[in-house]
Amino acid sequence: MLTELLQGSDAGGFIIIRDSASCSGRHLLKSFINAALNREEDVHVLGFEVSEEELKGSPVQRLHFHNAYSDPLGWTDKPTFTVHQFCMEELARLLKQTSHPKPATLVIDSLSWILRHVSPPAVCATLHQLRKGGAVRAIVALLHGDMHQRGTVGSVCHLASSVITVAPGMKGGDAVAKITKRSKSGKVVQDEDIFTINNDLTVVIQSKHSQVGHKQADPEEQEMDPTAHLTFNLRLSNKEREAKEKLALPFVFSKEKKTALLHSSPGSGRILYEPDANDDYDQEDPDDDLDV
Amino acid sequence: MAAPVSTVGKPSAERLPLNTTSFQKKTRTKLISIPGTRPSVQNGQLLVSTGVTSLDYLLGGGLAVGTVLLVEEDRYDSYSRMILKYFLAEGVVCRHELFVASAQDNPDDILQELPAPILDDVAIHKPVEQPRLSCEPQDSLDAMKIAWRYQNLPKVQSALASSSRFGHYYDVSKTMEPEIRQAAKCHRFYLTEHPTQSPPTHSTMLESYSALLKSLQEVINSEGFDVAAPMSKSRNILRIGLPSLGSALWGDDLSCHDNPRNGHALATFFYGLRAMLRSSLAVAVVTVPSHLIQDRALMGNITRLCDNAIALESFKGSERETNPLYKDYHGLLHVRQVPHLNCLASKLPDHKDLAFKLKRKQFTIEGRSGRSTCCRRSSERGSGGRWASRWADV
Repeated sequence: MLTELLQGSDAGGFIIIRDSASCSGRHLLKSFINAALNREEDVHVLGFEVSEEELKGSPVQRLHFHNAYSDPLGWTDKPTFTVHQFCMEELARLLKQTSHPKPATLVIDSLSWILRHVSPPAVCATLHQLRKGGAVRAIVALLHGDMHQRGTVGSVCHLASSVITVAPGMKGGDAVAKITKRSKSGKVVQDEDIFTINNDLTVVIQSKHSQVGHKQADPEEQEMDPTAHLTFNLRLSNKEREAKEKLALPFVFSKEKKTALLHSSPGSGRILYEPDANDDYDQEDPDDDLDV
Repeated sequence: MAAPVSTVGKPSAERLPLNTTSFQKKTRTKLISIPGTRPSVQNGQLLVSTGVTSLDYLLGGGLAVGTVLLVEEDRYDSYSRMILKYFLAEGVVCRHELFVASAQDNPDDILQELPAPILDDVAIHKPVEQPRLSCEPQDSLDAMKIAWRYQNLPKVQSALASSSRFGHYYDVSKTMEPEIRQAAKCHRFYLTEHPTQSPPTHSTMLESYSALLKSLQEVINSEGFDVAAPMSKSRNILRIGLPSLGSALWGDDLSCHDNPRNGHALATFFYGLRAMLRSSLAVAVVTVPSHLIQDRALMGNITRLCDNAIALESFKGSERETNPLYKDYHGLLHVRQVPHLNCLASKLPDHKDLAFKLKRKQFTIEGRSGRSTCCRRSSERGSGGRWASRWADV
């Protein structure tokens, strides 16, 4: 599923790459940026944690890096982008600066930095407005899961359409990505991939995680076919089936008899019944003298 | 008292025209006869159906009018949202009025996703079907092979004036048709459309919750759901659906921080909501993302402030997904609170371990009965504890 997410087929998605101290998700973030650039899309990067040279070596035309690395809190007189500018009005103004007709992809590196300085409900509100407003096509954000309280991480991930949790893999260069994707209809799909990232920022998926193989073996063992070892025959051959269908059942009438019975002639007898007091016999009160 | 039955007027006779029988039960008591409700057999409270018949059984027959049902969401909010949709769909089918308030999704989107009712005995605005005459062509006899004597009898009348059945079934794979949905009146509250005023410093409640309560109060007063309102027009029930209350999009940091700054805002909201509902003909179903709320004391507070509370725990993504005991089910259901309305003790459900399963046409809730020895095949497989046969298709 990682390749589908990289291709970015569904618009309006909000992808969160959740990493931890043991395995960094920045390389995967760079792969996402690369994939978006290869799709001829505009990419806006809000860089809080790393500088522009480190994120993208040479400047690329469609990549707009908003430098929040040098002065994120606005301590100098002329900050380029501060963390307090992470609100809908400022971001909309920022995104309108490019003249590209298609809506851009917004990459946030990282959301943890913003969550340390702006309250989580405000961040969630801004992200929600960004998604609904249509100013951006997709949002990809990096979140350090071990930097925040569980409730904060949970609240932000609850807003996301896909969450990719990266963890270190078995071998040196590998990493394991656990992906949870929520579709608009409420269906949740989970997947696990082992991947490596090459030097040119393409993602190579290794074989699926070994645990999936174990799961597939177990259900097969448990399903025994109860009709397998019987001493009598439960199946019908074709001839036997034809003979069975030809058999006339005792109370199945022919069509003529059916119509005759259905359209009853007017002279048939009718039963007229008028309920009598004697017919109202109560088993538990035969003399009808109980005062209940 | 949840729904004072004595003060409301006589049963409206004009609702009964197309009954199949002319039998009318002679009632001395002046019960409110609102379509889609029935009095409880245990304590005479007026009950409405939640849309899920198994859940109605669990709550003691239905949801009492004037109470709040709290549903603690599962991790991805799939099944709790489904219960809310069942609740709203039941309101549409019973011709109740709806009120949907949401911070994340547009209420119109929620209303468009309601499941379609299974239509055998639901009244839609179609004229009564004429019974089939006996002079129909011959090939119609082939329709029934065994029960052909019933061929020419008229079908069961589907056009009841008001749906007299309590609790309907829904087909989850289809959405409700727009004609049925638009017949029901719906009030909406979408938080992004309400401008946020400056927060009052001395209030314990957030302005988003205050705005919601004010909007609810307006609807209840203007549309006549208040019990004290004059009897000029016929009465109806207001069904209130509040998905994902307490999430970060309402401006509440209860689900974000371990020690929230305004931790009692949600509890104050529930207090106000319950007070408002006690004096009106309304029912509320609220879903709260309790898996994000770390402060268990606050969650306990909120649970106590609601009359009914259930929690859903879905197996998706947890290690229980591969447990063979749970392979037929989608999750566990925990009952956190049962209502005690006008009584000292309440009826607890018989089974303590409950599991739910969302099938296409039914949301079933089943309890665990312990090891069963009747079926040899199950003991061969060695699974411990068969899950009991189902309740509440009744």
